[in-house]
Amino acid sequence: MAIKILSVDDSRTIRLIVGKAFRPYEVTLLEAANGEEGLAVAAREKPDLIILDVTMPVMDGVTMLTKLKEDPALKGIPVIMLTAESGRENVLQIARLGVRDYLVKPFKEDQLIEKAGRCVTLEKRPVATPA
Amino acid sequence: MSRHLVDVFDTMLTMKAVLDPRASVPPFEERVTGCVAFAGDHINGAVYLHLGTPFANQVAAAMLGLGVEDLGEAEVNDVVGEATNMLTGGLKSWLCDSGAECAVSTPAIIRGTSFVIEPVPEVEREWLIFDCNQNRIVVEIHVKVG
Repeated sequence: MAIKILSVDDSRTIRLIVGKAFRPYEVTLLEAANGEEGLAVAAREKPDLIILDVTMPVMDGVTMLTKLKEDPALKGIPVIMLTAESGRENVLQIARLGVRDYLVKPFKEDQLIEKAGRCVTLEKRPVATPA
Repeated sequence: MSRHLVDVFDTMLTMKAVLDPRASVPPFEERVTGCVAFAGDHINGAVYLHLGTPFANQVAAAMLGLGVEDLGEAEVNDVVGEATNMLTGGLKSWLCDSGAECAVSTPAIIRGTSFVIEPVPEVEREWLIFDCNQNRIVVEIHVKVG
């Protein structure tokens, strides 16, 4: 059965890049455009992994993560934070929130796959062969 | 800042951008401009990323792994906004590590041909001009200290 990965980012570009990175794998990608939508999708779908942006309108990634950790049904879901800021304070703040890992933008798809692979088992989709 | 732009284009697009310190600000054609503002107690300003529209379309296609013909204006706007966000994130990290805490806005997009961004008084303006496969990338930075 395909694992479920939830990408929460206000940028459709980043959601598309995340989707492109996981395309070769048995993954069902779920999407949300902000933390509020992300929490609703997480509660409904119980994803195996969440890729979460920090800066978003409506509800940012830090608030979503805090609420996630307060919910007994969701707090065990591993979270990889995506941030455009690599400053010391920002990285320390993210680490304190109890995320599994973080990735600084710009990033390569390989880096995302490597970090996701440490949280969930990624299996390659079978390659279609011509009849 | 120039190193960060090179990094964004190299990592996300596999495109080589080279700073041209002798270049003057090119005459602006039809373009897509991304803008992200930053604000703190001691410093505020904005970063603008100007790309000619045909090059912005190429950049969006490369970042999304799609053909230029498959892209709409919304996709191109989103890519330019995200690239500006990454660029400003690098500046914010440097400012925060230097003791000038600040926050950044979500990106905004301006499209057009003949617009000019006039800085308000006491704001310093800096231009960085890059060459990328014979296309120009123009970064405009407005900074007010204090």
